[in-house]
Amino acid sequence: MTIYSTFKTDPARLRRRLLALLLDWMSWGYVAYGVMYFLNDYWWRIPLERFYTTLTLPPWGWPAAVLGTLAMAILCELTGYSLGERALKLEVKEERPLTKEEFLMGRAAGKPFWRTQWGVMAVLLLALTVALGWHIVKIDLEALFRPSRRAREMLGEIFPPDFRYFLVPDPAFELRGVPYSILNLMVITVFMALLATVLGAAVALPLSFFGARNIMGFSPVGWLVYGVVRGFFNVFRSIETMLWAVVFAIWIRWGSPLAGIMALTIHTIAALGKLYSEQVEGIDPGPVEAVVAAGGSRLEVIRYAVLPQVVPSFWAFTLYRWDINVRMSTVIALVGGGGIGDMLFYYKNEGEWALLGAVVATIVAVVWAMDYLSGRLRERIV
Amino acid sequence: MAEPYLVVEHLTKVYERGHVVALKDVSFEVQKGEFLVIIGLSGSGKSTLLRCINRLIEPTKGRIFIDGVEITRLSPRQMRRFRRKIGMIFQHFNLIKRATVMTNVLTGRLGYNPTWKTLLGLFPRSDRELALRNLERVGLLEKAYVRADELSGGQQQRVGIARALMQQPELLLADEPVSALDPATSHSVMQYIEQMNREDGVTVLASLHFLSLARRYGTRIIALKDGELVFDGAPEEIDDRKFKEIYGEEAEEVEIR
Repeated sequence: MTIYSTFKTDPARLRRRLLALLLDWMSWGYVAYGVMYFLNDYWWRIPLERFYTTLTLPPWGWPAAVLGTLAMAILCELTGYSLGERALKLEVKEERPLTKEEFLMGRAAGKPFWRTQWGVMAVLLLALTVALGWHIVKIDLEALFRPSRRAREMLGEIFPPDFRYFLVPDPAFELRGVPYSILNLMVITVFMALLATVLGAAVALPLSFFGARNIMGFSPVGWLVYGVVRGFFNVFRSIETMLWAVVFAIWIRWGSPLAGIMALTIHTIAALGKLYSEQVEGIDPGPVEAVVAAGGSRLEVIRYAVLPQVVPSFWAFTLYRWDINVRMSTVIALVGGGGIGDMLFYYKNEGEWALLGAVVATIVAVVWAMDYLSGRLRERIV
Repeated sequence: MAEPYLVVEHLTKVYERGHVVALKDVSFEVQKGEFLVIIGLSGSGKSTLLRCINRLIEPTKGRIFIDGVEITRLSPRQMRRFRRKIGMIFQHFNLIKRATVMTNVLTGRLGYNPTWKTLLGLFPRSDRELALRNLERVGLLEKAYVRADELSGGQQQRVGIARALMQQPELLLADEPVSALDPATSHSVMQYIEQMNREDGVTVLASLHFLSLARRYGTRIIALKDGELVFDGAPEEIDDRKFKEIYGEEAEEVEIR
């Protein structure tokens, strides 16, 4: 069938075909894993000779699984239009020309996906994944609705919240050096977010041009700088703000706002840098060409052809980041980053639900206000 | 005859990916003050040829002389300085849409000013005066502080012309300057280019789609087909046979008045 006819013709196509087969093999392997997992999950619930046991593979089990899945994959390939072929866009042409009626009814666009083999397979894999996930994390919906005495107590005490320490510092935090009133800490928190956003954006802005393919050109040095900057963005972005806060809390001091600012700033640089440089890469190249043709230098290209195009989206991204930073700064104290979260988690640990309620209410009000503010700003700018 | 102003010798351009040959051994000469029109189908290499002449695209092989200077040997820095003398206008105008017309026109002056000044947006008073004069010349003086994207297509191309005028060029490269415009606007734009050619003595190289426009404005025509030079001569020399040779058998000449 199709697979044999392409063997002789085109080595590149053959390679893709083998890759498609590999993908099919892998997805069948995944199915086999799912089946084994379910078998195991149910097996131990069945009393076998009066004690529970787990299912183990017989010695021939592994080769059987490997070969069985391979056989299934090859079968998929041979009958045409497998998931792997579809993923690699290896079209298998229909042998028979369409009738007029079929063409009229839109059959030329192919069968609807749920009637093709790859479509069935895709739906099956999706269903398997959901079912498997459900079992693996052992979702217990009952627990969600089980009456909890502790929760009821907590909710009862949160209302009404106790705003005793809104302006007056709580003496429990006497040793911290800063007066710990809700208002004071909230101000610190908002400024943490603000400083982190401004600092982060200020560093990310120039860096982003070094991480943009169309600015760096295709010289070896250009590639190197691009690679380093992009690598920096990707690595530092994949380390979450909370993890950075752990690092800086140890480095600077537990509970110091500076640690929080540093953590937020580092992550902001990397996240904004990536977003910025993608914007720079997406500009219309026309004005760049025009400025170069007029004898402009690289900096002039950035100033006159690139910046005017990206400034609105830069603002939008920065404000969006400011939203994230405000929310993040309220909880960063969990890992020693300072700010209002310091009070939040202290009261939570002490079971001071009424005081906690006041802190939460303030956070909600401030976060909502900041969201609203940045939303309005974004509307005005973009 | 005098020393030609522009000499293109055995120019070849191969795009690295896919080994597409855009230009094959193209040679021609242009005298000072000529209005040379380049015709040919889409993809025949017109844009590539124009962009090789100011090295927006690096030629693969061949040499280009402008005014006796072998520009294919200039360093990037020298080339940047040399580009001041070469104005360019584009099919899609290539204006900075979010900036004012004035800023757009002033960008034509970037090559004449130190970078540290232009980065701060500081242009000498004389440049700003020149900008207004050039805007007046293309009839857009009252639009000087309007954002470029608020103008119509024809007006945008006139801003493009004013920008090119700012360079006080000796040579103008026009890459399909009117193919995004309607017939009436096309003529108005072409007349501004003709005026540059006649009154300021600017040598013009323009690629055009319509043969009628080429005949009306060009003093000489060259034709490209699949990257090769297939015609070089006076506009009158293009008869039906030549036309079919350049544009293919099925082509039908369309008039634009």
